[in-house]
Amino acid sequence: MKKVVIYTTPTCVYCKMTKDYFDKNGVTYEEHNVQEDLRARQEMVDKSHQLGVPVIEIDGEIFVGFDRSSLAKALGIQ
Amino acid sequence: MMYELVIIGGGPAGIAAGVYAARKKMKTLLIADSFGGQSLVSAGIENWIGTKMITGYELGKNLEEHLRHFQKDIDIWDGNLVSRVEKIDGGFRLTTNKNQMADTKTVLVCSGSRRRRLGVPGEDRLDGKGLAWCSICDAPFFKDKVVAVIGGGNAGLEAVIDLKPYANKIYIIQRSDKLRGDPVTQEKVLAMPNLTVIYNALTQEILGDNFVSGIRYKDAISGEEKTLEVGGVFVEVGSLPNIDFIKDLVKIDDYGQIVTDARTQKTSLEGIWAAGDVTDVLYKQNNISVGDAIRGVLNVFDYLHKK
Repeated sequence: MKKVVIYTTPTCVYCKMTKDYFDKNGVTYEEHNVQEDLRARQEMVDKSHQLGVPVIEIDGEIFVGFDRSSLAKALGIQ
Repeated sequence: MMYELVIIGGGPAGIAAGVYAARKKMKTLLIADSFGGQSLVSAGIENWIGTKMITGYELGKNLEEHLRHFQKDIDIWDGNLVSRVEKIDGGFRLTTNKNQMADTKTVLVCSGSRRRRLGVPGEDRLDGKGLAWCSICDAPFFKDKVVAVIGGGNAGLEAVIDLKPYANKIYIIQRSDKLRGDPVTQEKVLAMPNLTVIYNALTQEILGDNFVSGIRYKDAISGEEKTLEVGGVFVEVGSLPNIDFIKDLVKIDDYGQIVTDARTQKTSLEGIWAAGDVTDVLYKQNNISVGDAIRGVLNVFDYLHKK
């Protein structure tokens, strides 16, 4: 099982869509709300070098935004 | 196998057409990247008729649910973008970005539009580094910052409202001498104490080394160039129709919109209809897109049954 981490804000639509996509495909993930958690926010900025959510980390690989096809590839989802 | 109709798009137009086509038992396929259309990122839609207030995300969910309610009467390929449409004998062949192919007698294009970019220096380089596109998503990052929203239409005003709980000062950079958004939203925004509208301002450059530090704009009246220090920029300068896959087949106007017959939604090529924001319809509205798409799909039905 790959380790999946998602950095989100509570109002972010693309974050919700990404989580829906994970749920639909049985992907378990760890979520960090970067609106509240400033340590996680810094971590997200350090890893992605930008300020936009969602940021998704899959086994160390960083994805910015909900791009279904690259997430599918990284997770081996058909 | 040949479909009678392929609907391209999962916004209000595409879903409306899908629901009607399924209920008419037309042999239909709907191809969409996602459901909801451009309103998906709206924090609150207050003019979707029949519902006082709904978020864009909920609207998208409702549209998808309504379509899937009829899924035994309609095929749905979601997560797919149409990349090509070719004329074949008796109809058209569509190819998606996943290399799936479908043949169909008719096509209804409801592919909507995407965000227009500014096209100024600094925009690409600072994308995500203080220059943002989704205010509802990213507003919390601009807590206690000075932020500029470029564009004074409805989307720009909504961005201001999304930023209100976070930013300590907001500028609207508007290229003309008045705001264009709905008066009810203008009133809400103009009442904010920490808001300044800069009119007749043409954005020339987004400034910053590793992060946005300001913008440079030109005063359209005096011609004078000015710099404004800001820690964030949100761009809301309109939209561009999604026509790449169809632009060689049908007539496109000077604004990149598909030319349609307002009575039937027919395009210049027999067998292809279009509805919603991708067309030259006078106003781009969810409610209008729904009606236009229904008119289109009913006209497709008549066309198929008259043959």
